[in-house]
Amino acid sequence: MQVFKAMFKIVKKRLPSAMVYIIVFVTISVLVTNASSKDNQFKASRMEISVFDHDDTPESRALTEYLGKNNDIVEIEDDKDKIIDALYYKKLNYALIINEGYAEKLKAGETADLFGNYHLDECFSTVYIGQFLNEYTSSIKAYLAMGKTSDEAIALAEEALSVQTEVNMLRVDKGGNSHYSVDFAGYFQYMPYVLISVILAVVCQVLVTMNKKDIRYRTNCSCIKNSKYTAQLFIGSGLFVLAVWLLLIAVGAVLNEEMYTGRAWYAVLNSLIFSVIVAAMAVFIASFDPKDNVLSLITQITGLGMSFFCGIFIPMDVLSDGVLSVARFMPAYWYIRANNMIADIEAFDKDKIFQCYAMQLAFIAAFVTLTLLVRRIRYSGASIGTAVKKAAVS
Amino acid sequence: MENTVVRIKDLVKRYGDLIALDHFELEIKDGEIFGLLGPNGSGKTTTINCLLSLLSFDKGDIEIFGKKMTPVSYDIKKEIGVIMQNVAVFDELTVYENIDYFCGLYISDKAKRRQYVEEAIKFVGLEDFRKFYPKKLSGGLLRRLNIACGIAHKPKLIILDEPTVAVDPQSRNRILEGIQELNRNGATVIYTSHYMEEVEQICTRIAIMDKGRKVAEGTKDELKRMIKNTETITIEILELPGKVLGEVAGLPHIYDADYVDGRLVLSCSGGKHNLTRVLDVLHKHELGFGRVYTELPTLNDVFLEITGKALRDKED
Repeated sequence: MQVFKAMFKIVKKRLPSAMVYIIVFVTISVLVTNASSKDNQFKASRMEISVFDHDDTPESRALTEYLGKNNDIVEIEDDKDKIIDALYYKKLNYALIINEGYAEKLKAGETADLFGNYHLDECFSTVYIGQFLNEYTSSIKAYLAMGKTSDEAIALAEEALSVQTEVNMLRVDKGGNSHYSVDFAGYFQYMPYVLISVILAVVCQVLVTMNKKDIRYRTNCSCIKNSKYTAQLFIGSGLFVLAVWLLLIAVGAVLNEEMYTGRAWYAVLNSLIFSVIVAAMAVFIASFDPKDNVLSLITQITGLGMSFFCGIFIPMDVLSDGVLSVARFMPAYWYIRANNMIADIEAFDKDKIFQCYAMQLAFIAAFVTLTLLVRRIRYSGASIGTAVKKAAVS
Repeated sequence: MENTVVRIKDLVKRYGDLIALDHFELEIKDGEIFGLLGPNGSGKTTTINCLLSLLSFDKGDIEIFGKKMTPVSYDIKKEIGVIMQNVAVFDELTVYENIDYFCGLYISDKAKRRQYVEEAIKFVGLEDFRKFYPKKLSGGLLRRLNIACGIAHKPKLIILDEPTVAVDPQSRNRILEGIQELNRNGATVIYTSHYMEEVEQICTRIAIMDKGRKVAEGTKDELKRMIKNTETITIEILELPGKVLGEVAGLPHIYDADYVDGRLVLSCSGGKHNLTRVLDVLHKHELGFGRVYTELPTLNDVFLEITGKALRDKED
């Protein structure tokens, strides 16, 4: 296993640059997942408000105190310009003015002109605070009408309003797709770019190094069989690709907080097929023995080209028909099509998903055929087999 | 009794209309350091590539250790060590790892391999550079690593294809001494070069190649005896009248006389006291002269006389 061992020593040298792609991808995925998982948890909103109490009665102070329990009170000077500035710079969501006579009007059962305010137009905080004040004053008014004193009415109203409703966030089950959410599909959507970048950067480079003309000449002079040499390179490349794919799949499972179930397995299979495509592509590119800088250029063009044309970076529905018709000739297009169907971005159709798999498998066959063709053309001059036959004939 | 290690019979290699090897024949005996000498493009590397089955050929037979050489003759390949013109090592592996890798293509036993690698490192004098990467080595050290990778498995036949190209004199001497030591340890060596001094220094037998053909073969002395020239006399003279040049050219054993740029160059063929007779003529005509020196024929003279052109296109 001399070739195999040497290959992995070279892989080790190339790995740090390739790991950058994986680390960046995983970091972004973790951040996105955390952000989306927070979105999935219910939490009552707290507003940043200022209260200007022009009434200064026990009732108005009680309101100010109660608002402070559920919101953050921001101390600000009672000056119109300063309040508007604070709203503009989002230091404040809402400025409430408790008008003079608030307590008197409340006792009289009046609800008009109790408050003044400064707020931004048509924003959530305005509606939220407005609704709260409406509920608060209506409750007090109701308790006062029942003959309660002001203190009792305020206490009862606060008690009634403080009842918390238990909220559970539920996943929407779209025909058995509860285990492959759009967030999770996003992880698989970006995966091709990482696979292309990492596999091309490492496998291609290593194969080019191992097959450098002078090194290959020296190896061909040795007593290692050609088939054994090729087999060790094949196994080495395969194991590396498998390791990268398994790592990404494992990270995916961790981010999804559960093992793959249901439709997620379609995505796993999809990514495995795409990994094999990239491996075949790496072998094909390596057969041209490109120089380091050329290889780096090819990696960038392939990775970014497919990402922008095939819907990895930009959703497919945003891309024009012209771009999509070109993208059909790239394997990533079929990967993304399948991924979109699995995630219900397009209608789920098992047959069509398998058609996408078949198209990707066709790309693998095409790359293998092209590689054999290129190798045959490039190395035909050194075909000793024919030489020996010719010599025998003559 | 000397055994034949390499036998090449009637080898023909064509690249389209160009004949790279033209019915080439060669026989190398056990224990020889055999030099393949020829200018660039004479077919030395093509011969080596055919010999190693790296290159197809159109006609002929190649036998090594008495067996027909084919691309799948792994039992023969096991006994061959190759040091190519270009350095063939991995930039990503250290000196030790490189030698271990190439040795490992022949030797699977780990303990034996470790011992062989250590011996190869010691042999080429890279003990202090075991953990160095090739890019950190100087040109000479890199060549030594290249040699270590080719000989670590202790081959019986070592083929060196211009191993000293672009090597400093110190490293070159070390390499040449190393090749002689390998030969003393029992290896048969095939050494190709266009540096005639190297070939003269280390080879026990030499074949001179030109345009894919073997134009001469023998020991150094045998080759030199093949040509007419036995001595070249050069005398620095400020002025030489045509009459005197004619008189000198007419002296016995002088077959060529030339006066260019204040230097009288005389080619002699056999005879004794040629220089004394020439100086007598100059004294007789009261002609003063500067430096006087004589040279014995070199392989370049042999090549020049046989092919009508210099061995090297230019001095390296």
